Amino acid sequence: MKRVLGVSLGSSQRDHTVRVSMLGEEIELSRKGTDGDLDRAEQLIREHDGKVDAIGLGGIDVYFFARGERYVVRDGLRLMEAARATPAVDGSGIKDTLERDAVQYLLHHTELLKPTTRVLMVSAVDRFGMAEAFVEIGCPIVFGDLIFSAGMPYPITTLDELADIARRILPEMAKMPFTMLYPTGKEQEKEGATERFQEYYEAADVIAGDWHFIRKYLPPRVDGKWFLTNTTTSKDIAELRQRGATHVVTTTPEMAGRSFGTNVIEAMIVALSGQRPEELGHEGYAEWLRRLQLEPRIENLQGGSAS
Amino acid sequence: MTHATPEDLYAALDHFRTKVNENQRLRQMNRDWNRDIAVVAKDLPDVQAWIRMRAGEMDWERQPCDDPHIVLTAPTDVLIGIFQGERTPTEPYLDGSLTLRGSQEDVLRLDFVSLMIWGE
Repeated sequence: MKRVLGVSLGSSQRDHTVRVSMLGEEIELSRKGTDGDLDRAEQLIREHDGKVDAIGLGGIDVYFFARGERYVVRDGLRLMEAARATPAVDGSGIKDTLERDAVQYLLHHTELLKPTTRVLMVSAVDRFGMAEAFVEIGCPIVFGDLIFSAGMPYPITTLDELADIARRILPEMAKMPFTMLYPTGKEQEKEGATERFQEYYEAADVIAGDWHFIRKYLPPRVDGKWFLTNTTTSKDIAELRQRGATHVVTTTPEMAGRSFGTNVIEAMIVALSGQRPEELGHEGYAEWLRRLQLEPRIENLQGGSAS
Repeated sequence: MTHATPEDLYAALDHFRTKVNENQRLRQMNRDWNRDIAVVAKDLPDVQAWIRMRAGEMDWERQPCDDPHIVLTAPTDVLIGIFQGERTPTEPYLDGSLTLRGSQEDVLRLDFVSLMIWGE
């Protein structure tokens, strides 16, 4: 049996272990949250280095992307380098392909997404492939990177401006403690100030991107809206249903009641392949994604006919 | 030991004010951000500066700020470097020579302001 460990800066309340069968291979996927404690995450990685087949880094990015530029996140790199023998990945190896494909799938196989669909992407530098996919379709879009990470009421509406702001800010911001940029640990359990930035949710048909950013300012009512995200738990889904959301689409498959982060899926591919990430490369990952036939999971929250 | 004078710091603050206020995009980004920021020069204890952010515009005065949202403390040469755009706040913040006391969101926002002006 292959073993994959997900080490996350997120809340330990979301910890779980599942066993799945993929392409005839048994895999144990285990997720351990460190409640925002970077040192503990590093220690966990060192303890399991060489003892599991792959490690996924969750609740943190190692890289941000914008228009061909890659920005290295200092804290993320520190965790990645803590694993010497076992490959450690943050999901960026598959995110671009998986999330572009998810948008195309929704366009061609559902009624949810059309070129007129108004999109709020809570953060795009961690999902640049998804951002580009929406723009290529022609969707009116707001990138909420400044709103959701810094609380600045400034909607970015073009990829050019996103890339310009990223070029100014990310080389330095990526050096800051990651906990300043993204909700980790107990911050993930807090309800956001639900009236703040409500207008951006109201002006959108779909809210896309990182679940913890989405939840940060989630308004009390989101009637008629659908969500494209991942790492949701059954509790999160119930919360969206109760607030009036129509659908939740996750880019990663559900296993035992929750969708895993792309880091765990990438780690699973690394474990299955027996290759290191750099050996797999973009084409290798794309081939494995085809073999695994991962499609977005669409959950209709209000009953009625499935879209 | 620094040779920076209070006048050097005041000139840097004037320069910073000009850069903030002439940046239309930055003013729009900060239109909701009304904050009082105390600037404390570690090596010049008599120097007081109070930065006021109001509806995206910045002003500053040579007087103490009684109830600041953010307290920015560093050696004068570090403060001058930041306000002149000769250095980013990130490295002095990480090596401890610059301390920022305030809410995490305000601290992050102040960092954004300087990077939007000087970052390239």
